[in-house]
Amino acid sequence: MIYLIDHEDSFTYNLAHLLDSIEPTFVSNYYDIDLKKLEQSSTIVLSPGPGEPKDYPKTSKIYKKYKGKKKILGICLGFQQIVYSEGAKIVQQKNILHGYQSYITVNNKSIFKNNSEFLAGRYHSLKMAEPFVSKSMYITMRCKKTNVAMAVEDDINQVYGFQFHPDSFLTPNGKNLIKKIISR
Amino acid sequence: MLNNNEYLNKLYQSDQPLIIYKTNNGFDVYTDFSKKYLINRDNIKNFLNIQTKRKQSKINSLNCYVGFFGYKVLCENIGIKMPKQKTNNFYEGIFYKPSTKINIRKNISIKSVKKNYRQIKTNKKNYSILNKKFDLNLSLKKYSKLFDDFSKNIKQGKTYQIKIAQTYSKKGKVNAVELFWKLMKMNESPESFLIRDKNYSIISCSPETLILKKKNLISTKPIAGTLRKTKKMNINRALSFFRKNEKETKEHNMIVDMERNDISKICKTGSVKIDKLKKVEEYRDLFHYVSTIKGEIKKNTTNHEIISSLMPGGSVIGCPKISTIQLLNSKEKNDRNIYTGSFGVIHTNGDMRFNIMIRTLLNFKNIINLSVASGVILGSTAKKEYNENYIKAKSLLELFH
Repeated sequence: MIYLIDHEDSFTYNLAHLLDSIEPTFVSNYYDIDLKKLEQSSTIVLSPGPGEPKDYPKTSKIYKKYKGKKKILGICLGFQQIVYSEGAKIVQQKNILHGYQSYITVNNKSIFKNNSEFLAGRYHSLKMAEPFVSKSMYITMRCKKTNVAMAVEDDINQVYGFQFHPDSFLTPNGKNLIKKIISR
Repeated sequence: MLNNNEYLNKLYQSDQPLIIYKTNNGFDVYTDFSKKYLINRDNIKNFLNIQTKRKQSKINSLNCYVGFFGYKVLCENIGIKMPKQKTNNFYEGIFYKPSTKINIRKNISIKSVKKNYRQIKTNKKNYSILNKKFDLNLSLKKYSKLFDDFSKNIKQGKTYQIKIAQTYSKKGKVNAVELFWKLMKMNESPESFLIRDKNYSIISCSPETLILKKKNLISTKPIAGTLRKTKKMNINRALSFFRKNEKETKEHNMIVDMERNDISKICKTGSVKIDKLKKVEEYRDLFHYVSTIKGEIKKNTTNHEIISSLMPGGSVIGCPKISTIQLLNSKEKNDRNIYTGSFGVIHTNGDMRFNIMIRTLLNFKNIINLSVASGVILGSTAKKEYNENYIKAKSLLELFH
């Protein structure tokens, strides 16, 4: 079972349908987390949402508790929560992108095909600051145009994060990305 | 005895409460209301799940409730605490149970459970509109300040897009039926409607369908993107304008994803599809950029769950819905009243049709009100959005010229 934590976003259920088509998915509001079900789940997914990681301390706690024990996937705000918990700073970016489609390129640290590129939908005002240093987590995808970090992967601990929205209709290949991670 | 036309005219001239709702190929007129149900946050669930399911008439088309939910009750229904705002204490929502329904198509046909429905008393009424000009609650200066505040919130990621509402108002009491048909000649829109009750009336040329539910199928048709009509502009040019314009495209993309989300809450996994993406619709003063999203409703989903997932309609608030409503509440000094609520019909078999109450006049306590909104999105300017609001209000404001 996948447990999806909803940070009161208006895109969470697009992600829920995507996940549920791969594995049964339980969704709960951030303010109403069912700890028993969370414990029973095999994968925890952190949803997009307004604001920044420090607005959601419970999610940071959950991440730290289950990292290495369960598969964890973060989308948009969820991505930022992962890297924030790993010590990265979250900053405002120059160009604010909401409802924007751009090309993403994949590098050789990724479980996805090296040098491949694809179109993705983006909704974010903030980004992770670089340089980002971690023992086992790597930046694996970037915006083709601006080079902003678009994904992190820690395949040892099975932690994955996307800054873009695989759930958006602007990401035609979104389902395959998620499928590969869930079935890994 | 009066023939159908004479009866309808007499009905219009009377002060008997009535509702007119635009349909695909004509208009439905509802009257002889046997019940009037006042909606509030405590009874909305019961109303949707129990009250509206009770079959009472042998005539199927009369087994329905027609009416509206205001903005406030819809926000409270999804758990949002509303602040104290300036209000005229209008109803939070009212639904009516009709005993008579008149279908205006090529011909007029009438269904009624009342034997003597054609006997109507007409009274002399007083209509008055004193001053021609409307007052506007936000000056460009005040609007610009709000615009700048919200732009900051967008930069901080607290909201991705937010819509600022403005209200036009003036004193007067309108002849609602006359004004409605005048509006239909000028700007007949797919979700137009009229409610005339003893102490208020609502006149609308709304273009936006929020919920169309038949059996277990549901669709929603969000509008995001407005272009002023000029002599040179036609529907193809408008389409190419929208496609090339990054701001309109981004705004529209966001609303499509948001409505996919809202409809996904109550639909079967994998059933939600974009039916029509980014089409242009033409109106009297403007073009709109429109998409249609549909899905198959999960088994055992209640109408209250459907209403709670989709209302208040996202395209007139911004995104994400909850944090954006909270931001709006902290800055909008007047309550939105009926504006961005929803009007529609609920049948006892569960079928529903609802619009979003935009381009809608309210006449209550001798005041005529009209609200419009447009979006703060980075890349736009306060002045441009302020002017867009005027274009949206134009066809309704010109009714009084």
